[in-house]
Amino acid sequence: MIVFDNVWFSYGNREVLKGVSFSANFDERIAVMGESGEGKTTILKLILGLITPDRGKILIDGKDISSLSEDELIPIRRKFSIVFQEGALFDSLPVKENVAFFMREILKLPNEQIYKKVSELLSRVGVTDAEELMPEELSGGMHRRVAIARALAVGKTKMFLYDEPTAGLDPVNSERIMTLIKDLADKENIGFMIITHVVYVAWQLCNRFIFIKDGKILFDGGKQELILTEISAVKDFIKELFFKVEL
Amino acid sequence: MKSEPKFITQIQKKISELQDFYILCFNSIARIFKKPLYIDDIIDQMEYAGSSSVFIVSLVCLFVGMALSLQLSAELSGLGLKMYTGKIVGIAVIREIGPLVTALVFIGRVGAGQTAEIGSMILGHQIDTLRVYGIDPIKKVVIPRVVASILMLPCLTIIGDLICLFGGYYIAVFVSNQSGSFYWSSIIQELTFENVFSGSIKPFIFGYLISCISCYYGLTTRGGSKGLRTSTTKAVVTSIVVVIAMDFVLTRVLLYVLGFSL
Repeated sequence: MIVFDNVWFSYGNREVLKGVSFSANFDERIAVMGESGEGKTTILKLILGLITPDRGKILIDGKDISSLSEDELIPIRRKFSIVFQEGALFDSLPVKENVAFFMREILKLPNEQIYKKVSELLSRVGVTDAEELMPEELSGGMHRRVAIARALAVGKTKMFLYDEPTAGLDPVNSERIMTLIKDLADKENIGFMIITHVVYVAWQLCNRFIFIKDGKILFDGGKQELILTEISAVKDFIKELFFKVEL
Repeated sequence: MKSEPKFITQIQKKISELQDFYILCFNSIARIFKKPLYIDDIIDQMEYAGSSSVFIVSLVCLFVGMALSLQLSAELSGLGLKMYTGKIVGIAVIREIGPLVTALVFIGRVGAGQTAEIGSMILGHQIDTLRVYGIDPIKKVVIPRVVASILMLPCLTIIGDLICLFGGYYIAVFVSNQSGSFYWSSIIQELTFENVFSGSIKPFIFGYLISCISCYYGLTTRGGSKGLRTSTTKAVVTSIVVVIAMDFVLTRVLLYVLGFSL
């Protein structure tokens, strides 16, 4: 379980999170929404202990991670699989080595086993015949799918974290990524947290929505509450939904 | 709540940055032999820092040697001391100019490249990805670059010194009409332990400093392509200033330690 208890965070003088509190189970499908620069990605980095809060507590399975060392954070981080915005593939390595990277570095598997699993994972995410390509030769959608394959390669985790998984993608590729995220969650039976500013993506994939504005959580609820909300900032944000989906 | 004056905040920020830099310098040495060793990454970085830099180092050193020999020949012939060209070129190149010029070329080619590469890894969340999966970025990213720089800059300096001396030879013999054998014999006379030690200890220290500065600025890159430009510029400028200042300090210390009288 993830618990944020009155978390404050700032970049220099700019306060990004001002007393954020929420809790989430690993099997939930949560969308953290808000405009650009509202601290959505910061929440994700805080969950992973990549940055530490100025004030407040972050508990993962009951353990406060705010003051843990890098070594102590390793088992906490292993509970999650993360796909950063634009994939964060290692640009000096071809696709197959990107997917193989953590199997080689962490799991220390033999090459034969690694490459067999690489092929399986790439076909699972729908990227075939691209093993030898370099990341700069991939389209945006392929980039994300290879990144998802790499996240899957490490083994079973408790929750997937996606940072803007469809940002910059055309509708067809967005749809493919959304289907992949949903299928993975269904098959692996684990939840995910999506950081997005695209309300349509959040609506299609999630059943809980957290809306952040000015460093605070303005809304936290399910689909029904979201469409019935009277909070004007949230209403403005979800306007596009009324054109895209039948509610 | 009363806020602190801006300059105090700035000083605190600078002290904190300096502290982070010292920690990086310390860890990049302290963790060298901690497993895993990432030998393949070290070899990759050695190839980038070393063999790929030979041509540019040679080119720059050739012209520096030629210019130095030209200046000295012109000045010394007026005093009737033209035969000392080889001796002075030898001392200047082996002790001072070779290590310094090679280090400056190394900053521009390798140091800037290290900052830009690590900076783009930061901006593309590649370093965060390593941390998430429990891989120490200092071990995986910084140490291979530091080790490669410490090992390759001395090798490049030896090559640079030789090319510099050949440049000086060309001018002394074919332009200033001096004896080639006398030029080389006066240089060989200067290959004493003191001179060679003085010139060969510097590149190890320069290599370490350049890579630590470059990696530090790479790891602290923020703010997109503009931030990357800023951090690369800062890394190059800081490295140049630090290397030149350290060259002076080392020269003073080595002169004292090796018993040269002023």
